[in-house]
Amino acid sequence: MPPILTEIAQLVVNGVMAGTILAVPAIGLTTIYAVLRFPNFALASHATIGAFSGYIANVKLGLPVLPSVLFAFLGAGLVGVATDEAVLKRFRPAGFITTAIASIALTIALENVVRFGFGNDLRGYDLPIMRDWRFGSIRVGPQQVQNLGIAIATMAALFLFLAFTRTGKAMRAVADNPVLAGIKGINADTVGRLVSFVGMGLAGLGGMLIGLDTTIDPLTGFRAILSVFAAAVVGGLGSIPGAVVGALTVGVGEELCLLFLSPDYRSAVGFVAILLVLTLRPRGILGQRAY
Amino acid sequence: MNIRRLTASRRRFVQGAGALAFAGFAPAVVRAQAQPITLGILTPLTGAGGADGPRMEKAMKQVFAEVNAAGGVLGRKIDTVVDDTQTNPEAAVRAARKLIDVNKVPAILGTWASAVTTAVAPLCWEAKVFLCTTSGADSITLLPHQGYLIRTQPNNHLQAARHAEFIASTGAKRVFVMSIQAPFSQPTQDRVKEVLPKFGSQMVGGLIYDKDKTTYRSEVDQALKTNPDMIYLNGYSPDVAVVVRDLYRAGYGGARFTQSYVMTQKVVDSLPQEVTEGIYIVQPSADVNSPAYALAKKRLGLDAPDSYECAATDWASLVCLAMTKAKEATGTGMRDNVRKISQGGGEKVYSAVDGLKLLAQGKEINYEGASGPCDFNEIGDILDCKFRYSKIAKGKIEFLKVF
Repeated sequence: MPPILTEIAQLVVNGVMAGTILAVPAIGLTTIYAVLRFPNFALASHATIGAFSGYIANVKLGLPVLPSVLFAFLGAGLVGVATDEAVLKRFRPAGFITTAIASIALTIALENVVRFGFGNDLRGYDLPIMRDWRFGSIRVGPQQVQNLGIAIATMAALFLFLAFTRTGKAMRAVADNPVLAGIKGINADTVGRLVSFVGMGLAGLGGMLIGLDTTIDPLTGFRAILSVFAAAVVGGLGSIPGAVVGALTVGVGEELCLLFLSPDYRSAVGFVAILLVLTLRPRGILGQRAY
Repeated sequence: MNIRRLTASRRRFVQGAGALAFAGFAPAVVRAQAQPITLGILTPLTGAGGADGPRMEKAMKQVFAEVNAAGGVLGRKIDTVVDDTQTNPEAAVRAARKLIDVNKVPAILGTWASAVTTAVAPLCWEAKVFLCTTSGADSITLLPHQGYLIRTQPNNHLQAARHAEFIASTGAKRVFVMSIQAPFSQPTQDRVKEVLPKFGSQMVGGLIYDKDKTTYRSEVDQALKTNPDMIYLNGYSPDVAVVVRDLYRAGYGGARFTQSYVMTQKVVDSLPQEVTEGIYIVQPSADVNSPAYALAKKRLGLDAPDSYECAATDWASLVCLAMTKAKEATGTGMRDNVRKISQGGGEKVYSAVDGLKLLAQGKEINYEGASGPCDFNEIGDILDCKFRYSKIAKGKIEFLKVF
């Protein structure tokens, strides 16, 4: 392979890996938006809470990675339901903007709760680090492949849940038309709680996946939230497959831009993508249908 | 009898009034013979610098106490007024205004954060008040301060040059610099590139990366394409922690070099051992082998005073010596004389008290401080200082040398 093609292939591989991990919290954001109709920026602190729940399971309780990931999902999910019930639900009647701003305040408060408990120091999971596998001149990290596997399995489980279970169908119904769903006897409050649990659980899982590859601290989620938001918007806020497409677009786009640009412009790419997509397709790549 | 007594007391009254009148018209220096010289101490007692400020204050006061015990400066005791910058430029400006306008201090010692020093410096040079600082930003000594500012902290330019010298001394021939996007990044890369060839090494490339990324695999690929045997990690802890992992995964086996604020023991603890093994760490250091450092240890009752306590010791000593040399307790006097007592061919002295004795004998002196040689260029930067080098072995930061 000519060197330039090798380089492009390597960048695409890196981008797919980064994008898949981004996709997990992006699905969380978009699911919450689809049902509750506001962008929940508290996702950032829930990603951090998930990362720390997983850290407690992995380092303090000595569990292997896979059960720890479950802890991350549960920890963030439960905190998500609690904070939505106690804080954000009261703001929803006041409208979209008010609730979104309240979620920013909430995320800063929660981030500081984590800081109060764990301090500002960087922490790492108890994981052996492995050298990358090499396929010809392309290299792939074993940890990233595992993360990719966890992300894909989670997404598959979510799709199956939404497609085939009664509760999943109820969630889609509320997302499509809350009034009609109410007439049909679906309790919007219960669905709201479930959505907060699943959405924030996915955020927590995403936070832990980021942490597995790097280190964690109270700002782990905050650092990722802009890219997650970009992914959800590019794919079409409210569309779950859109979040996956958006995350891959942002992930691969940020990597491929390195062919032309210095790495310090990488973050700009996600936002140029938002501008382009919203100009050409105002509802995002896949529109806003939830599923 | 009564009349004579009255006359006598009237005479005494006239004598007394005359003496008073004489005192009133006497030159200020005679009148103020016993009045102390009041200097301003302006350190961060709270905020981000709250850990360093109080220790700097103590180090300065100990020097002044020693000087006062030995008879003071120009026959006057040194007195201090302490104020808090709160590590906040706005609070610092208010405090500096008070020190200058109300306390009429000729010198302010101790500003710590670069933003604070940048805000306080113009008040000082406008009022001809001498300012001693530990702020490191290159821009500070480039301000139009007319000489009313010195700093004992190595600036970025000096640090990068010494880093390059050390990197070359490890035997590295091909150096790559990975910097985070920050004001210091490009100047550091430029300086390293300039200095390495003087020591038989070269910079094969550099890149500036974006902060807050979850992976730096592609950046690492770019770096490894140049086939380096040393990578200078010029970032902050969260990103360097990711970069060193990605370097390990990519199979990089060469050396790595970074700063002490990036690789603290806690960061090392958060990373797998094989990832951190062999990383070189640098930080500016006090001159731990100098007699001045030994004196500072004794004076402060500490085993190892840090670079801030040493810097504070040196400012206090320098202003005492400069005022004596100038024969006046003014900011302009300090500005014009600080280099006459801190560098040049005079007899080397390691404490303010020893220097004052020699100055009293009319001798020339060269103060060598606890923080370093305290030789300043025309814009107030130190010409040289020591650096402390360590290396990570089996997850522990181990001291290598100070040079």
